[in-house]
Amino acid sequence: MFYLLKLEWMKLNKFIAFRIFIAFYIVLLPAILLLGKRIPELPPPLMTNEVLFMFPTVWGWLAYVGCWLCFFFFGFLAIIAITTEYSYRTMRQNIITGLSRSQYFLGKFYLILAVSLLATAYYAFCALLIGYFNTPVVYWHKVVQDVAYIPRYFLMCFGYMSFGALLGFWAKRTGIALFLYLSYVMFLEAILRWGIHLQLWKHPSMHFYPMNAVEDLTPLPFTKMADEFLSNYGFSLFLSPAEAAITTIVYSSLFLWLSFRLVRRADL
Amino acid sequence: MSILSIQGLTKRYGKITAVEGLKLEVEKGMSFGILGPNGSGKTTTLGIILGIIHANSGQFQWFEGRYGNDHRRQIGALLETPNFYPYLNAVDNLRIIAHIKKTKEAHIDELLEMVNLYHRRHSPFRTYSLGMKQRLAIAAAMVGSPEVLIFDEPTNGLDPQGIAEVRQTLKNIADMGKTIIMASHILDEVEKVCSHVAIIKNGKLLASGTVGAIISDDIQVEVGAEHTAGLREVFAAYPPVRKMEERNGHLLLFLSEAVPASTLNKLAFEKGITLSHLRVARKSLESEFLDITSREA
Repeated sequence: MFYLLKLEWMKLNKFIAFRIFIAFYIVLLPAILLLGKRIPELPPPLMTNEVLFMFPTVWGWLAYVGCWLCFFFFGFLAIIAITTEYSYRTMRQNIITGLSRSQYFLGKFYLILAVSLLATAYYAFCALLIGYFNTPVVYWHKVVQDVAYIPRYFLMCFGYMSFGALLGFWAKRTGIALFLYLSYVMFLEAILRWGIHLQLWKHPSMHFYPMNAVEDLTPLPFTKMADEFLSNYGFSLFLSPAEAAITTIVYSSLFLWLSFRLVRRADL
Repeated sequence: MSILSIQGLTKRYGKITAVEGLKLEVEKGMSFGILGPNGSGKTTTLGIILGIIHANSGQFQWFEGRYGNDHRRQIGALLETPNFYPYLNAVDNLRIIAHIKKTKEAHIDELLEMVNLYHRRHSPFRTYSLGMKQRLAIAAAMVGSPEVLIFDEPTNGLDPQGIAEVRQTLKNIADMGKTIIMASHILDEVEKVCSHVAIIKNGKLLASGTVGAIISDDIQVEVGAEHTAGLREVFAAYPPVRKMEERNGHLLLFLSEAVPASTLNKLAFEKGITLSHLRVARKSLESEFLDITSREA
């Protein structure tokens, strides 16, 4: 495992896009949340911006910010780390040099795993720090109340990256893979769910789409829309955390399995 | 000892058969040339034995199976274009190769000196000229001093000096006792570097053997006289002549043994024919190659 991780590190650590993505994530994750300090009043029923920074609600708000950042930077990273190896033909060279196809795939899998873990660790670190300095009286049970966000954050990042990996292995070209990734996550799935699924069948199954499940792991903590939706359709707008987690695990496993098949079968 | 054994290898791309029932044996210490025109299936064959292309049928075995599935770490290969990470410099790129091959990095500087890239070792790969890229690829193939080296048109795109340098490097490698497998459409190259040769066309093996055997002992002699028909009669009755062909108004004799030119001259003269042209030519791989490939087409 460390052999393959070290190989990925040797490939990426001088790669400009990799450095930029990491730097942006590190800066933006706390910075975007702290922008909330600029907004003295929030719409009712929140009123004060303190909930953004206090335990336990800081977990949810920071995770929501992180969800957008992971979607952009780490989803892109997963795609680029895979498609550039096709365009530089280095994947082919890696295998000629001695890696087996399984090892090549495992290298990318470990990369996704490692990046997701580190991103989560950084998220936890930021949440603890922001919460610690902005909660007037820190009670331990308040700190750990929403600590379940940590594993869900990991799954969220892992979910985006495994989807990006599949698109990367499948499309092989950076531009096409990025286009598919962005358009699917931002429009296509929404059209499928709201425009087609909901019109044909008003049923909670409309939530069990891969990227929706990933987003519902760390949903927008408060939304009025959720209540309206519940009264209109008789089921919740969001998946429960457990549903979202299981759905994400199932889809991510599927994506990675499909990627593995592509790597095993392709003529390079 | 067998280094590589290929049995009945076939690869189809839709209706096109790139490689058809190919059978090859490469022994330790050989410099094995795979010779064929462009699109004859050379690179496809190398791609299959290097694990990047799946064959439709047939088998191949490396090192009599000694290394199991780990055989590619014992092979240094350059296939088609040199493929490296463009944003990394020569040293970092070779380190990656060494890491994959699980060998020490110690001799990276040596290799870069050998291919004359040491002074540019810290420049990113994307800034290299084509010749430099090709030379780095040769260095990369040598990382970990593998038992077998595979080169696919190693002098492609190089200037004459580069070609001479690369060929010298390949000869040096062969002299070190390494096994070399080289694909090329340049006959001269194969003739200069290789001890054995296989000629393929349209994915089929047309001939294989030592370069000496393929060149064969055939001696070609061009003779000319005013009456070519009379010449034909004379030499048809002469046993060493295997066959005759008319070429550019002269008669080309294929002799199975070396015969002094004077003997041929005398023979014709005795029959009352004066030769106006007599030229002895050693048969080159090139003519054999053209001969074989056109015959089977």
